[in-house]
Amino acid sequence: MGSNPLTPTLSPLGRGSPAAPAARQCPKAILLVFLVALASLFALVMSGLVMLVTPALAQEQPHQARLPVIATTSDLRSLTEAVGGDRVAVNSLVPSNFDPEEYQPRPQDLTRLKDTRLVVRVGLDFDLWFDRLLALAGGAVQRGGPGYVDASYAVAPLEVRGVTVGPGDGHAHGSGNPHYWLDPKNAEIITANILEGLARIDPANGPFYEANRMAFLKRLDGKLKAWEAAAAPLNGVPLVAYHNSWAYFARRFRLDVVGFVEPKPGVPPSPFHIASLISLMQARKVRIIVRQPHEPERDVAFLAKRTGSKFVVLASSVGALPGTHDYLSLFDTNLAALLAAAKP
Amino acid sequence: MMAALEFLWPPFLVAFCLVGIHAYFGIQVLTRNIVFVDLALAQIAALGATVAFMLGHPAQGPTTYGYSLAFTLLAAVLLAFTRAWSARIPQEALIGVIYVVAAAAAILLIDRAPQGAEHLKQILTGNILLTGIESVVVIAPLYAAIGLLHWVLRSRLTTGSFAWEFVFYASFGVVVTSSVALAGVLLVFSFLIIPAAIGVLYADGIGRQLTIGWIAGTITSALGLAASFLLDLPTGATMVCMFGVSLAVPGALYPFLRGDVGRAWRRSVVTLCWAAAALLAGSALLLMAAPRADQPLLDAAEYALPSLRTHYFNAAEAATYDEARRYAERYRLEAERLNEIETRSRAQGAAISDDTVAKMSSFVRSYGEMRRGEEFVMREVRARARERLRWSIGPAMLVLGLLIAPGVLGFMRRKIASRRAALSP
Repeated sequence: MGSNPLTPTLSPLGRGSPAAPAARQCPKAILLVFLVALASLFALVMSGLVMLVTPALAQEQPHQARLPVIATTSDLRSLTEAVGGDRVAVNSLVPSNFDPEEYQPRPQDLTRLKDTRLVVRVGLDFDLWFDRLLALAGGAVQRGGPGYVDASYAVAPLEVRGVTVGPGDGHAHGSGNPHYWLDPKNAEIITANILEGLARIDPANGPFYEANRMAFLKRLDGKLKAWEAAAAPLNGVPLVAYHNSWAYFARRFRLDVVGFVEPKPGVPPSPFHIASLISLMQARKVRIIVRQPHEPERDVAFLAKRTGSKFVVLASSVGALPGTHDYLSLFDTNLAALLAAAKP
Repeated sequence: MMAALEFLWPPFLVAFCLVGIHAYFGIQVLTRNIVFVDLALAQIAALGATVAFMLGHPAQGPTTYGYSLAFTLLAAVLLAFTRAWSARIPQEALIGVIYVVAAAAAILLIDRAPQGAEHLKQILTGNILLTGIESVVVIAPLYAAIGLLHWVLRSRLTTGSFAWEFVFYASFGVVVTSSVALAGVLLVFSFLIIPAAIGVLYADGIGRQLTIGWIAGTITSALGLAASFLLDLPTGATMVCMFGVSLAVPGALYPFLRGDVGRAWRRSVVTLCWAAAALLAGSALLLMAAPRADQPLLDAAEYALPSLRTHYFNAAEAATYDEARRYAERYRLEAERLNEIETRSRAQGAAISDDTVAKMSSFVRSYGEMRRGEEFVMREVRARARERLRWSIGPAMLVLGLLIAPGVLGFMRRKIASRRAALSP
């Protein structure tokens, strides 16, 4: 480095030299303009931040008479609302457009958990961050206690693999693919778990909750029949998904997910993987690539361009796309998007 | 193989362009002692795009690019100022501050993004594999123009005056912003520093430094892309590791090529002996103290040569180990088979009923538990065999390590010789 020809010209300004006169060399007016621009920009960013934060805080009005419940995801919030009706006040921790597996809890989550009476979580290693948060909040509800509902209890998990098994297309979850709420049939089990928890905490309202659940299941059953009939044209249509989130959804609606763009979450695909995926897509004539709103568009767009296929954005959670305001409309929206894309 | 070439040549061209401009900027950055400035500039550009996105502009539109550019230019002003303060505070410290504040501010903004926070992450996590020829068409003229500008201004850019410093950082900011979006932060940092470092290590004039850097960078990029394809690994990370190797090799060869060759040889032999001796003696002590713990050296040897096990297992241990391994494999295959049946049944043939799927799921879980049990048996058998052997293999390895240690043999020979001398009349 010392022998570099650039060094001599720089040395008067180098570290340890007397105060450098660089700032003095430029006209003061330009400096002033730059500083004003910088300050106004800073003010702009700050006011934007304040504007964005304030409505979020204002939204939270305490529901005094209702039973406070915290669900980790918006899907479980919707199902808990279906069972609890107007006698519960459910909040979900993860905003619906975020990846719940990579959620970073906020300080206010602790306050919410401290005051809650019931928590509902996804389980199956999906929302692992919740364990520490719950212990840290130190409220009345603790893991394994009466106010704790693991909604995955008694759900039959698909794609169970030990951690060491299979470099293939598995999910990184030793306890099975955790996206079980995307099979609407599993809502029976999930709502049963929620009902059990609610009745344990609030036995007086038990019959009310049970009636609510039965009414919901009846609606769900009608919807399910309609969905399965509507999804008939999708049977056997080959799809590629960005991430392996659709196992349960594919089983229920008989979709053929032939491959994934990102075989392991968080690890970018290798050239070999992309090359074999493209030849697979060409061999199987895959016309549709599925991604979620929070998954990168770039990788999917690259594949779509290479293979002449189109991509469909599907919501794996309530609220992730416009129109998915509750659990039932989640499936309405997803199936409509898939059907529109599958049309020749 | 043809498919591979079709895939890898656009990324290779992109890498070629990036090496071209970044090797030059790398030499500048090394001279000025500001190696992390690219991270700060990239992060500032991402912050600019975030602000634009939050104000309602589409993530990949021209307005957003304008915001990125404006933020980068502002950061260039700040960085040009830091030159004046560097008498008292190292410039790297201020660059680090710019980086962390920009990163944290972007997190706060993204946290409130209504939709599509993913678009913003893409600014910093480019993937060179997914770049197409259309990126080359954009960056090649841009980088060539900036390179030309720097060549024309080459005597002024190093004077250190505020205006020229600003031009330097602003043009660097434009380069970094576009290259990070293509290749990601890690890879761009490698492009910037490593070819330049190899050039500076082996040559004096900037022309020669650049030539060495360009050749080294281009070869390394090609090797990295090829390794990523052949070994089925993520491209960016493989290329970064390849760049690490490409710096380590000339770095290790430097004493041999520039300096006293004999002394370099002696030094490297002594260093290798010490390393081997420390490894052996450390493993020996670990084996004797805690035979049931992980033994990295023994485990690696067994992994490379599984037949080693037959040498220290007795017949019963070998039989138990083999049986457990066979069963573990069988359970794994059974579970895989059930999983495969379920996956195939989703779209093909007759649907499997919910009850049957539930049964299959519980079978698969049981197989998983059983396999874990067999793996426990395998670990236990090996741990017991090692426990049995700790007082024979352990001391042997320790003695071997001591013998390898440089100077020990000579010391002993001299000791024996002097004792003989003392004994003989």
